[in-house]
Amino acid sequence: MAMIESLRQKARGVARGSTQTRLARLEEDVEECRAINIRLAELTDLVTELLLPVAQRDETKLGELLDRYRESL
Amino acid sequence: MTRLRDVRVDDSGIFARSRREVVVDVLFDDRRVFSFWLRRDSQPVEGGHLFAWPRAIRPHLDGHTEMTMVEPATGDELYRGEVRLGKGDDRIAVVNRDGAPLALDKSMRKVLTFDTRSADHVEPLLDAIADVLGTLKEAGVDAFLAYGTLLGAVRSQHLIGHDSDADLGYVSKHEYPVDVIRESFQLHRFLVAAGYHVTRYSAAAFKVDVIESDGSVRGLDVFGGFMRDGHLYMMGEIRTPFRREWVFPLGTAVLEGREFPVPAAAERLLAATYGPTWRTPDPAFHFEMPSSTHRRLNGWFRGMRLDRAKWERFYSVPERGRRGPSELVRQVARREPDLGTFVDVGCGRGSDVAFMARRGVPSWGLDFCRRAYADREQRALRHVTFQLFNLLEVRHVVAISAILARLPGPRVLMARHLVDVIGPRARGNLWRTGASVLRQPGDRLYLEFCTRAGADGYAEKNRVTVRSSRRMIDELEQSGATVLRRRLLLTSPDRPEASSQVCRIVATWSGERPPDDSSLDKPVEHDLTGDKTAEHQTNAHEGGQ
Repeated sequence: MAMIESLRQKARGVARGSTQTRLARLEEDVEECRAINIRLAELTDLVTELLLPVAQRDETKLGELLDRYRESL
Repeated sequence: MTRLRDVRVDDSGIFARSRREVVVDVLFDDRRVFSFWLRRDSQPVEGGHLFAWPRAIRPHLDGHTEMTMVEPATGDELYRGEVRLGKGDDRIAVVNRDGAPLALDKSMRKVLTFDTRSADHVEPLLDAIADVLGTLKEAGVDAFLAYGTLLGAVRSQHLIGHDSDADLGYVSKHEYPVDVIRESFQLHRFLVAAGYHVTRYSAAAFKVDVIESDGSVRGLDVFGGFMRDGHLYMMGEIRTPFRREWVFPLGTAVLEGREFPVPAAAERLLAATYGPTWRTPDPAFHFEMPSSTHRRLNGWFRGMRLDRAKWERFYSVPERGRRGPSELVRQVARREPDLGTFVDVGCGRGSDVAFMARRGVPSWGLDFCRRAYADREQRALRHVTFQLFNLLEVRHVVAISAILARLPGPRVLMARHLVDVIGPRARGNLWRTGASVLRQPGDRLYLEFCTRAGADGYAEKNRVTVRSSRRMIDELEQSGATVLRRRLLLTSPDRPEASSQVCRIVATWSGERPPDDSSLDKPVEHDLTGDKTAEHQTNAHEGGQ
């Protein structure tokens, strides 16, 4: 009987351990997804503020634009 | 009435016994200096509680004072007695270098608080609150008083005496974090264009510096918020079930005789922030937020100012004596006589930048801590440009790289003791900067970092952690760089057994190859190009592993 109980405890431990591991992984995944918000916002900001004007190929304006952008960082 | 028993005040702190938890204001010669919770903030000893003197105040505790302890909620005096601390005979004075009275805020940091300031001093802050609110409105958001400033206005129509800054908040019309962040960038730009000095805390909160009539600078914090799934999220640490109509249309409250906008149901926001007892003053209040809220706001908006507070503290102390240029920058000057542009990434106070500029080379100093280079920036040295640069913000990396890539070559990026204080994400962005800027023949990256911490204390003195040179080379090569040289040097060559070790690497993204390509296939422990001149001219001497 003692052996069966011990096996049961072990099985419970394994199950708990694997649930905890999966939970920790899931938490990491969620964090990763949340962090995408900053990346996406930064890239969109760069595209709208810098890259679109760059596409217009106006050298003087580009220089002014870069200076203004860096002042606002 | 609360009673404190067996109060004992000595160099170790304040000991007292009390049947229940109590918030205590501590006054020296009738001026409040700090507040604490007897049980929460103390160690249980001898059947009572010992509150150790906060670290920030210890240097001032040398002399006599009449100390009073008052319960702020009731005004009841819990203790009064003449105490002597340290060995001094003068009255204890908790003041700054200019003699202005200081107090400790709820995080036990020294601050100039409102209760030590005259109305003349507070007026510019009220002006600034009105101006910033106006500018934010022009930029498209209806901001309002928030946190302690809202609490003061609603509870007593005054700034809270023990507070040291003013807080504003707004609720975005957007409901996705990404849009809230983009809006925050726009607001930041708008404020800078309006002439304000802005420091970003996170992707949705920033500080606007306000200069007061006596020249002191006070921060005005602007916290972004938004509604999502029936909850209000606001930077700081709020996530609470809320309705948009509890915010809009904004109402008003009087603060120091002036009317300011507040949320429509301000008391609901205050209850969400300070709990149901928000009407009772508690100068030692600490936010207690569920970890899920913390995780959410961290994941969405934070992670761009790792370690900044530590370096801000370090650079808040004025430079002691004149610090000469580093051996590394001297080496750059010797090896690169035709340099077109020099850039020091992680320039700190900027002494290497000034050195290179004195040689007539247009030089840029980049650091994520503006305070570090502020002194040298004010001197407006010839050929010198300083720029805030945060390797944890993609916008900084891309925009500044675009600017540097347009400057005259050959270009050198130098990073001395930078890769040994930053993590993999920031390092990845450093390599990205190199890859964008150093693409022409003659362009170089000069790195110096600690590879072994010895008993000579070099690593501690420079506040760096050890990095493996192999790993740095792997990272560089994965980013497309070619390593031209690697050299390992002892920091204490006369005591090799106690010496730390630094590694110097020269790399480029221009496609140049080192003189002997095959030597890069294995770990290298000596100078790759055979240049021996540096040995005689550096403090750190060549050494083996």
